[in-house]
Amino acid sequence: MSRTATETVDTITASPSVKRASLIGARIPKLDAPDKATGLTRYLDDIKLPRMLYGKILFAHRPHAHILSIDTSAAVTMKGVRAVITADDIDLVPFGFGRDNTALKKDKITCVRDELAAVAADTPEIAAEAIKRIRVSYEDLPVVGTVEQAIAAGAPVIHEKTPDNQPFHFDYEHGDIDLGIRASDVIVEDTYNLQRQTHCCMGTAGIIAQFDAQGILTLHSLTQVPSLYKHDLSRIINVPPQDIRVIQPPIGGAFGSKLDIHPFEPICVFLARATSRPVKLTFTREEEFMATPTRQPMMIHLRSGAQKDGTFTFRDVRMTLDNGGRTSWGATTPWISMRTFSSLYRVPHVRQHVDVIYTNNIYACAFRGYGNPQATFALESQIDVLAEKLGMDPLTLRLKNAQQPGETTGQGMVLRTCGLADCLKTATKHAGWDVKRSPPGKQKTGRVRGLGMASMFHVGGGAKIHRSDGCGTMLRIDDFGVATVQTGSSEIGQGSETVIAQIVAEELGLDIGKVRVLNSNSDYKPWDVGVHASRTTFIAGNSALRAAREARGKILDAAADHLNLDSVDLDLYGGQVIKRSTGEPLVTIDKIIRGMHFGRKNDMIMTTDFYEPPSEIPDEHSKGDISACYAFGTHVAEVEVDLETGVVKVLGISAAHDVGRVINQLGIEGQLEGGIAQGIGYALTEEVKVENGRVLNLTFTDYKIPTSCEVPELKMVFLETNDPAGPFGAKGMAEAPLVPVAPAIANAVYNATGVRINELPLTPERVLRRIQESRDSESE
Amino acid sequence: MQKANDKLCIEFEVNGEAVSISVSPSTSLLESLRDHLELTGTKYGCGDGECGACSIMLNGKIVNSCLVLAVECHGSKMTTIEGLANGKHLHPIQEAFVKNGAIQCGFCSPGMIMSAYALLDKNPAPCEAEVKRALEGNLCRCTGYRKIIDAVLSVAHGGSAHE
Amino acid sequence: MTPTSAFYSPKTLDELLELAAAPDTTILAGGTDLMPRWTKNIHPTPKTVVDAKHIEQLKGVKCKDNIISVGACTPLDELAENPTIQRASPVLAEAAGKVACPQVRNRATIGGNLVNASPAADTAVPLILLDAAIVIAAQGPTGAVSREIPITAFFRGPGQTALKAGEILTTIRFHTSAGEGTWAWQKFGTRPSMEIAVASVGMILRIEDEIVAHTRIGYGSVAPVPMRGAATEAALLGQRLNEDVLTRCVEAAQDEITPISDIRASAAYRREVIGTMLRRMLIHAKGK
Repeated sequence: MSRTATETVDTITASPSVKRASLIGARIPKLDAPDKATGLTRYLDDIKLPRMLYGKILFAHRPHAHILSIDTSAAVTMKGVRAVITADDIDLVPFGFGRDNTALKKDKITCVRDELAAVAADTPEIAAEAIKRIRVSYEDLPVVGTVEQAIAAGAPVIHEKTPDNQPFHFDYEHGDIDLGIRASDVIVEDTYNLQRQTHCCMGTAGIIAQFDAQGILTLHSLTQVPSLYKHDLSRIINVPPQDIRVIQPPIGGAFGSKLDIHPFEPICVFLARATSRPVKLTFTREEEFMATPTRQPMMIHLRSGAQKDGTFTFRDVRMTLDNGGRTSWGATTPWISMRTFSSLYRVPHVRQHVDVIYTNNIYACAFRGYGNPQATFALESQIDVLAEKLGMDPLTLRLKNAQQPGETTGQGMVLRTCGLADCLKTATKHAGWDVKRSPPGKQKTGRVRGLGMASMFHVGGGAKIHRSDGCGTMLRIDDFGVATVQTGSSEIGQGSETVIAQIVAEELGLDIGKVRVLNSNSDYKPWDVGVHASRTTFIAGNSALRAAREARGKILDAAADHLNLDSVDLDLYGGQVIKRSTGEPLVTIDKIIRGMHFGRKNDMIMTTDFYEPPSEIPDEHSKGDISACYAFGTHVAEVEVDLETGVVKVLGISAAHDVGRVINQLGIEGQLEGGIAQGIGYALTEEVKVENGRVLNLTFTDYKIPTSCEVPELKMVFLETNDPAGPFGAKGMAEAPLVPVAPAIANAVYNATGVRINELPLTPERVLRRIQESRDSESE
Repeated sequence: MQKANDKLCIEFEVNGEAVSISVSPSTSLLESLRDHLELTGTKYGCGDGECGACSIMLNGKIVNSCLVLAVECHGSKMTTIEGLANGKHLHPIQEAFVKNGAIQCGFCSPGMIMSAYALLDKNPAPCEAEVKRALEGNLCRCTGYRKIIDAVLSVAHGGSAHE
Repeated sequence: MTPTSAFYSPKTLDELLELAAAPDTTILAGGTDLMPRWTKNIHPTPKTVVDAKHIEQLKGVKCKDNIISVGACTPLDELAENPTIQRASPVLAEAAGKVACPQVRNRATIGGNLVNASPAADTAVPLILLDAAIVIAAQGPTGAVSREIPITAFFRGPGQTALKAGEILTTIRFHTSAGEGTWAWQKFGTRPSMEIAVASVGMILRIEDEIVAHTRIGYGSVAPVPMRGAATEAALLGQRLNEDVLTRCVEAAQDEITPISDIRASAAYRREVIGTMLRRMLIHAKGK
């Protein structure tokens, strides 16, 4: 396998003359899998501390109201109730991206999930009963249920400090739209509507808070961003960050839902403080559906043009986000959306304007893809429309405009490696694009088949939005030859622990069983910005690799000393120091280390590294090389549509991704398969339905995620572009597989039926309705 | 069954061990397993019988323990996820889940493995469609099911799907 | 909250009926519908719960004098796999085998599926096709008294049945010949598994010399109760399955159902889906 030599990987590629098995690219089972398979793993919900109480929250269950009074007396007097708190009992520190949220709400309810009071009790049953006994008197206000209502003249004001209900606007531009319009032979425009999708982590949200006698707060928390979490939470709960310890138990899924601080977390701390006892607060599934922020619902108006030969000319985007009643980090997803519009293909003139609008709906947060699935749906749907107008094959049009390695995009992102064209060619080849695909037929009944494609672009080497996008590692090898890696990164089920162990084991020539990864306690975890932006393999992997490389050097030096040889003639493999030229084992690594401990050196092997990616924080115009590398991919979906019921069945997906380099084949396949399943759910069935601010579907019966019966035929190709900045050449690829699924399916539905649907999900009823409407308009 | 202060004392056998617990009549089996017996491998996912995270074998049949009252189980025999491995040796289904990458966050894994166990118990050589059908009551949000299905098929047909 | 304070599991029907006569008592069968309502506080938990699963008389499938009797506490998986049911009334076996998932079918009983009285109850439509009778028992002055009503009279509305206080559904009965002929049953959902029907259709047809000599049609999830498609049957009986008849059947069906719009589908869509499923089933039946 070719590998682009760089500063990062140079030293380890000094090719050993003896061929040996590499862990890189191998199918390594997750290190935590045996405990998970046997039920031994203790998730948050499984942890019971001595004298632990159970917390429960009273939610508003009404979308817009003034709170007149809260009477907790009937709850306070219940046997087994240890504390009841309302906004009057806490410091109301505003938090969230818009600083418009507080842990408990004082005067005003702006969405159904607003937290009004909380109870800590001896049992969950008592806590639930106590919550029912709290009496709140409200003055209901007119509900702002849609963006249209929110911006209408005389609309009710949701937050006094934002009288126009428009808390944020984002603008982006490169080139000159008017020039682009004038240069266009073909212009198309349309509006795309994207729904709320929710994470559906199988383990519901929760936290345990406990103060010790010195006032140190220990949190068992599911956060994906422990370092920032301590910092941000500190302000809300008035505990210095240095007095907060975050323990991260194994987590039942995250997918972005644990990126923000949610009100239940400080609430649990307040309950622990009020009772001086540990308090656990976990959500029921119903609460999880109602009170977990969703993917952003977006309305995207997109206009784009091309010249006769297919060259893209411009793209003009207007987006409206239904922000809900409060603002989380989710409001910033347009920062990511704009990158797809500006940089997935070469386009000289791009403009994006975004309005973020308050409503009385539930609010949104980060969710795998972070604004990208919405943008990609609009963009990739519209490219097919353009292709048809131009009389070009969608593949040809995309290839013509595909980014190439070495280019700098209009938004200033530098594509040192870029496998987009290969992804396009490979995915279509595997799907039988040239053979199978034909234009939509005239069939009116029965079932029809179609093929559709979509590509994607995402950060693959972190995303520098904080002053540091870095990660630290501390690595120690003990006298038994066991390497302990303390990493800033967190395992959230995605397999980062195993990937880091592989990288370290490879570099140190250790059996992977001899590498322990410690990643779940802030007392020893070095700084890391968190698990997001598909950054962990790349950033934490690089940091671990560099720490391991330094340790390797130290071992080799000590071994050379011990053996009276030159260290350049030595290598590490199989737990041994070996002779580079012959592979002959000379001495075990643990023996060398014991020699250091007990011998003349009186030293140990302990290395540290802090890796900061060579990326830059975007400037005030959102331009700049935000990531150290970028991920690309193409999916081709084959669907069957029932013309009389509207049922869409995904028969197969062929996916090709530029992943830089595969570190763990099993893990990367898992990311792809899981991402595709979430993408199919987004495309076909998943929608949190909200009417007049109220959530209608709070069960898995009515919020439908894919089941085992909906797994399509998958063809996966991982294209290795060997990114010079990546650990062993790897790029991030966690979010990527979800991003292009929905537009590939929608384009396939168009190919099957001749009916274009610009909103999701493609439920049978919606599809049938659109088919009928299109027939009605044909016959007019 | 004896009654004491609204609590009932019930006896049953779980993973080959006889146990006796005192529960209120409205306690679910799931809660009893987790809270009274500390068998926390069985998970709460929805409380509605819609996700399968709490699946266990009850008298030879796969059930959602959230949909069963503990008091219904007096005299029953159960197997939970903790009862599959034999000492240090994983059950072949567990082994296959580990090896095939069928586990990511792992929260659904115990229930999923129990459903696979129930299937193979009844039908040692299922086809892929039968595997999918048998797992339809077990939701997974991480894996997309492909590797889970492969793992079950690999046990049924001896050896990994990738070997 | 008055938590459940008593739990009984009687071994005989008489004991069960005696317990059932007490106030604030709920009869528990499979529990798959009741449990979530209790744990999620949708329904208050009753003071007394009586487990009906240990009464032999209420379990299993028996066939005597050409009458098939299904005990109310027979689990759905057992029903789906019962050889007598598979032979004599495969339409019922099919529907019972498509309820939810294995975990639920292992617990849920046919009696519970009916007493729950969901318009979407999967086993109701097949039983309508089979002209099933519902046997209901209660405690009388001198022991158990029972009455029998046609299944179509059992459902009174969503969650409403003909059961009076203290009454128990004990048995479902139908004639072995009721299931003869070409049959079909399908439920339509927005996902291929774990689905509550958006609409369901079942039919039994006997065609002699290309003429429909006997027909039963039933619909689920498109009326307040699972319903018999009497008008559809009338449009079919004595007819050849030609295009005209198919069209008239679909019209009759769409006319006689009274679906509502809810979170799962609109009324209009339910009408269309019923029409499509019915037409396809009839075309398929003709081909057999």
